[in-house]
Amino acid sequence: MSLDRVPERAPVTGAVASDREMCVFSTILGSAADAEFHEEIHRLEHDHAVDHLRLAKTDLSRRRLRAVTEAGREIAIALPRHEHLFDGAVLEFGAGSALVVRVEAERWLRLRPTDAPRALKLGYFCGNLHWRVQFDGEDILVAVETEEKTYLDRLGPTLEAGEALLIAEPHAAHPHPQPAGHPKA
Amino acid sequence: MNRPLSASDLSRPGPARIGIGGPVGSGKTALIEALMPLFRKRGIEVAVVTNDLVTKEDARRLQASGLIDPERVLAVEAGACPHTVIREDPTLNIAAAEDLETRYPELDLIIIESGGDNLASTFSLDLVDWWMFVIDVGQGDDIPRKRGPGILQSDLLVLNKLDLAPHVFVDGPATLAEAEAVRAGRPVIGTVCKGPAQQGLDAVADRIERDLLFRDVPA
Repeated sequence: MSLDRVPERAPVTGAVASDREMCVFSTILGSAADAEFHEEIHRLEHDHAVDHLRLAKTDLSRRRLRAVTEAGREIAIALPRHEHLFDGAVLEFGAGSALVVRVEAERWLRLRPTDAPRALKLGYFCGNLHWRVQFDGEDILVAVETEEKTYLDRLGPTLEAGEALLIAEPHAAHPHPQPAGHPKA
Repeated sequence: MNRPLSASDLSRPGPARIGIGGPVGSGKTALIEALMPLFRKRGIEVAVVTNDLVTKEDARRLQASGLIDPERVLAVEAGACPHTVIREDPTLNIAAAEDLETRYPELDLIIIESGGDNLASTFSLDLVDWWMFVIDVGQGDDIPRKRGPGILQSDLLVLNKLDLAPHVFVDGPATLAEAEAVRAGRPVIGTVCKGPAQQGLDAVADRIERDLLFRDVPA
């Protein structure tokens, strides 16, 4: 699609359509929380006119990907290196519709070491496996980035030896979610 | 207001960057060598960054191959810890990729080959957009079952040297099936990179062309 062929009321978009009409988004317009988008996107949501691209948190670091939106639209993203996807990123806006990135809730395993030396050991163990972790009081939370079984298999001996307890909320989101990485957020 | 780019102009975000990781001797460089003619035939402009521990061996091999302009191959010496420069601190590789992007604005694709490592190596997505992990049948049929992060988390797992499977007492199709099972639906491709009966290479090139360059290649 060349500029000359953009319809008069074209939506604001960072995308181009390929020969087969797949849109390639090459910039992020802003955050759905920004004043310039917030009210209108809220209104469009009531009209069921907001399409969402659901991404895992681990995919937010990607600059290029091909994906299918909730509405079943196949799209691609090719961002410059300095741009980052984030929860609420607006890819398309206007003409009665919008496309917004939403990040799926992360799963975390909550582990509670039974004493300080075992906590040190568990921390070393998680670091040695390059697991992404957060701390919450006396607990260590491990992000489940692949199959949960993979983590539980690795933790098996630790749990069986009573060195740590697995707190029963394996599918809960982290209680203190990190803010989106967008500078305007 | 954002201005739509022309349909053929995806140059503003720069070329796609892909990573190739895997254990020593699994065939990472051989895979690149085998893909080069396919990329050329498809009109894909490529440059390569190689990582070796303390030498430039892989870079020299590619530069001497006749498959690519030697100037389009840069070497990064990874030191004793090859996964550090592709994951924890990929600064050297990012700088090399940016150097190539500046020198060759026509590039579609930059391949970053990791130094040979173990099954735990993964790529930072700050460095690459997508990465594949190469294992081979010579390492034994239990490699997929070992479920290292490279095997589980890569965007594409390549099981290489399938032609050698009978000679090392490995059931190639069974190992492929097991790899597919542990990856729970993520793609796995079996390859033969050398010799007259190359295998699986078009499938690898198709996936790169479709998923990274967004060309109309069937899934």
